[in-house]
Amino acid sequence: MTVIDEKEIKETVRRFILGSVNIPDFKDDDNLFESGIVNSLFAVQLMTFIEMTFAIEVATDDLDIENFKSLNAMTAFVLKKNEN
Amino acid sequence: MQHVLTTDVYKTRHEEFKAFVALNVEPFAEQWDREQKIPEAVIAKLAKCGYLGCSLPAEYNGQGWDTVTFGLLNEALGRGSSALTGVLTVQAMVSMALLKWGTAEQKRKWLPPLARGEMIAAFALTEPGTGSDLQSVSTEFSRNSNGFILNGTKKWISCAQFAGMFLVFGKTEQRPVACLVSRDSPGLSVEPITDLMGFRAAGLAQLHFENVEVPAANVIGKPGFALSHVAPVGLHYGRVSTACSALGLLRGCFEESIAHAAKRKIGNKTVGDIGMIRSLIARMGTDLEAARLLCHSACRAEDEHLPEVFEKTFMAKYFTSRAAVGAASDAVQIRGASGCHGDSPTSRFYRDAKIMEIIEGTTQIHEDVLGKMFVGRAGPLGRPRRV
Repeated sequence: MTVIDEKEIKETVRRFILGSVNIPDFKDDDNLFESGIVNSLFAVQLMTFIEMTFAIEVATDDLDIENFKSLNAMTAFVLKKNEN
Repeated sequence: MQHVLTTDVYKTRHEEFKAFVALNVEPFAEQWDREQKIPEAVIAKLAKCGYLGCSLPAEYNGQGWDTVTFGLLNEALGRGSSALTGVLTVQAMVSMALLKWGTAEQKRKWLPPLARGEMIAAFALTEPGTGSDLQSVSTEFSRNSNGFILNGTKKWISCAQFAGMFLVFGKTEQRPVACLVSRDSPGLSVEPITDLMGFRAAGLAQLHFENVEVPAANVIGKPGFALSHVAPVGLHYGRVSTACSALGLLRGCFEESIAHAAKRKIGNKTVGDIGMIRSLIARMGTDLEAARLLCHSACRAEDEHLPEVFEKTFMAKYFTSRAAVGAASDAVQIRGASGCHGDSPTSRFYRDAKIMEIIEGTTQIHEDVLGKMFVGRAGPLGRPRRV
């Protein structure tokens, strides 16, 4: 994926989450950790999916709940990593 | 995994690994099992061959081998001794978690001695009251001016009897944290666990931490992410290693069974002439091939950076460990009385195989995780979905 836009990232991640967790839907700014959608096992799967799909590396400095708490947060994180 | 090997490099490496095991492991595995101890000399041989750091990059003195090669090594070692393969398993669990989440300084300091096998590591996660439910760990890291004061107990820790470094998981201010703790830390005592059913030579121990000082520089990752991000990386490699080790054990069961079936006489027939024995061997051989494909698929997914790597690894570990238990039981059955004796590898296979169903996530945890993954695929409307 060389050129990515916000919408594409968001929908790609949304499809992965909905394809992995049996929930009807969720909003872009829902807190996925507080709602229990992302548990400890799924957290690293989601991180790995983001790393592999968008060819970025999540490093220790990126370990901040603000980067992963919602679909909006993850989208912003991927865009920021791509800029770098 | 030899039937699915596609390059000469893989075939050559696998032959090299099998030759190492035939010379250095298989002739001694029963003795190690009886004595409940792996000699330092054989661990030194693993180190000399570069096996203990095989997955680490060359810049840290590792071999830089891919996951398929790592799987082949585990398979070959697993054919010889599950307990010895456990050394490779936990070394990879700690090394790969450190490679992913360590700072540049931590990686420069710790990875080269781990890669060279000068330091053996252990993954200290399980506690007397905490197994599958990781969030319940109660080991406490209390903050002080230099870092932390560690108190708590870890149990069933593979290789802890001889490890020089422990990756210890606990909590600080209610947040999960992972720290490297040296064996020579004052306040740390190691209590060997003996008389296990299987993995008897794997050096399991209970660790007691009493006011152990841990420098802040030894924290791996960030507090708050130890159980959601640091431990799962280690456990993932542990799962790959265990799946492939169980595959080796399964191959051992098959090889021992077909050899016995072909040569053991019953009157003017062989054991292999009996239809019911053929049924057992047919199931074993088919399971072996299916397990090879699943293990290879999981290793390839890791090497090709496929997002479904976790799912594939769960399936490989789940299927192969269960198949190994069935094959070991049938291998003993085919051998009869001789298969029950301590001199027979099938007796050891039978006991070790059961451990494979428990370590790095029990069979039931795997079923729960995989079941959730598969049901999740149906989507919110529950319509049949092509997979």
